[in-house]
Amino acid sequence: MLRISKRVITTMALTVPLAFGVAWSANAAEKFKLGMAVGGNTCCDWMKAQGDVARALAEKNGWDYIELSNNNDPAIALKNARIFAQEGVNAMIQFNGQPASNPAISQAMNAAKIPVVTYDIADPGMYFVGIDNLAAGIAGGEQLGKVIKEKWACNPDLVVSAEGAAAGIVNEWRTGGMRTGLKKICPDIPAEKWVSFESQGDAAVGLPAARDLLAAHPDAKKMAVVGLNDGGVLSLINAAEQLGRADEVIGWGQDGAFITGDNVNPHLAGSVFYFLEGYAVYAIRDVIAPIAAGNIPPLKAAADNPASRVEPCPVSAEQAKAVPAMAERVAKLLEAPAGTTAYSLFCPNK
Amino acid sequence: MSLDQRLESPARILSPGMRLQGWGTGLTLLAVWLLLIAATGLYRPDFLSHQTVLAVSFTMSIVGVMAIGQGLVAISGGFLDLSQPAALIASSLVAVRLSEAGIPFAFVILGAVLTGMAWGFANAVIIVGAKLNPVIVTLATNFIGLAALYFAFQLAEVPLGSAIHQFGRAKLFGLPAIWWPMLALVLVVGFLIPRTRYGRRAIAVGGNRMAARARGISLKVTRFAIFTAAGGFVGFAGVLFCATSGPFNPSSANALQLNVIAGVILAGISLSGGRGNFWLLLLSVGFLSTIPTALVFFGLSSDTQSIFQGLILISAVAFDGYRARRGIP
Repeated sequence: MLRISKRVITTMALTVPLAFGVAWSANAAEKFKLGMAVGGNTCCDWMKAQGDVARALAEKNGWDYIELSNNNDPAIALKNARIFAQEGVNAMIQFNGQPASNPAISQAMNAAKIPVVTYDIADPGMYFVGIDNLAAGIAGGEQLGKVIKEKWACNPDLVVSAEGAAAGIVNEWRTGGMRTGLKKICPDIPAEKWVSFESQGDAAVGLPAARDLLAAHPDAKKMAVVGLNDGGVLSLINAAEQLGRADEVIGWGQDGAFITGDNVNPHLAGSVFYFLEGYAVYAIRDVIAPIAAGNIPPLKAAADNPASRVEPCPVSAEQAKAVPAMAERVAKLLEAPAGTTAYSLFCPNK
Repeated sequence: MSLDQRLESPARILSPGMRLQGWGTGLTLLAVWLLLIAATGLYRPDFLSHQTVLAVSFTMSIVGVMAIGQGLVAISGGFLDLSQPAALIASSLVAVRLSEAGIPFAFVILGAVLTGMAWGFANAVIIVGAKLNPVIVTLATNFIGLAALYFAFQLAEVPLGSAIHQFGRAKLFGLPAIWWPMLALVLVVGFLIPRTRYGRRAIAVGGNRMAARARGISLKVTRFAIFTAAGGFVGFAGVLFCATSGPFNPSSANALQLNVIAGVILAGISLSGGRGNFWLLLLSVGFLSTIPTALVFFGLSSDTQSIFQGLILISAVAFDGYRARRGIP
């Protein structure tokens, strides 16, 4: 008798929470669930901001939201996608700065019938949302070319590219695009004046290599600097300051990370804003929200025919003074009506 | 002379012959360094320029000060402090915040050094308190520290035009202002270590822990002192780092670790403790800092420096082991 009572109690103890669990799961299953894999590269605060904005917008829409970090590692990015599939997300957004794993991610998520939005780096199986990196590079290069033409009659001693090879094709698009844009304005700069160094897209990490490059070109005075991002360009500018050669260095960056605020280096003449923190507005407005409503949009996976295009916003340092810093931009973006983009709110060159 | 007397008496531990052998490492380093300079200069005469001297001496400065801290840990038998990158960034962050608050430069330096010392003291608390291997503990505190730093900040930079920013770009007698404190610290520490009770006890603990304990030297006190002092040097390196680096993030100092360790080993400071001449850090760090610059003059990317540094590190560790087995100081 005692044994039976124990069994009954044990059964009840197991059954009641289980029943609650099943009921909760059924309720949860009805809610749309969004997975977000942030880039996780420690270089840049916008990667964290991308997740913060996506979370806020998902919550506004009443969706469940799961966020994982790719840690800037292709294997972790693939693992994260598999976790999202196991968790039963209805759609996934990713920024994968190490796109080697994109084909495998695409295959895994297609098998699980989970649509994927990818930022900035296209994959044939994913909705492309982002900037046209090549176009952004060319736009920045043209702006720098105009400055070089005006100040040095298109005759710099050196044109330096601050590369970030780990970014793969994005690096090629941006730095290559900037060189192309510069050549459009100044087509006669001799080939031997074009040099590059590995900045790793980080002002501090790239600094020693930048100093070495300058030491190897001791006679170069008028130097134009392009790069994967503002950080890479700054590494060369800082190196020039330290070697006493910054008087005639003009840099033009990409991503706008160091062109706003009170601490803008005077040799950084401009940058190209993408307002990376606000990408989720495009992704949710044009892809995720329609999917949640049952209207699956056609797959547009190419950078030149994207599911949603982010406009590049080239700005001079002077113009950038009107652009708020990232924290303020995020706050204003989340206060704005649904679907309002950071470009429409903040770009001074619309 | 008793062991006690030997431990407490200045500069009489090594015989003249042994000292010469110790300097043999220095002479070898100097010869290799000069060979590198000569070879690069022959290939590209413009290598022998003031710009090259500046590039090399800037690179030397931060690595050199960190190497003093790493050398202290090594010579006392702590093997390695792998938490230096996180400690350096934490100190740099304090320096940036104090600068932003308009605190005078001297107090900025003090704040960063104290931060480094606190970091080293915390390492010692875990190592001594839990009786754990210093390498494992500092590896763990580096991970923990970096993760905690990510919560604290994403990017930091000293204010443009601030005293610390100007210090990072100033020159003194044609060399970077940040190079001279490194030189002074290496010379002073190299002079004091074999000539003071504190230094000799550190060497004694590293050389033979049991014998040192038998002579009444407290391993705990010595280890606390060593790790705290080593942290102080990393804290000062943090000042030099943020003065020159521009915007930095919690991971920005990771790449320095290999150079620092290679510098210590190449200088002949034994990782198993008890042996080493800090003055030789000037040669080892100078040589290592010249390699990437020379590579660029040879038309190779400075990325390839990791290959050369890795090979040099393996050679140095092998030589360190050989010397230990043969009892060569």
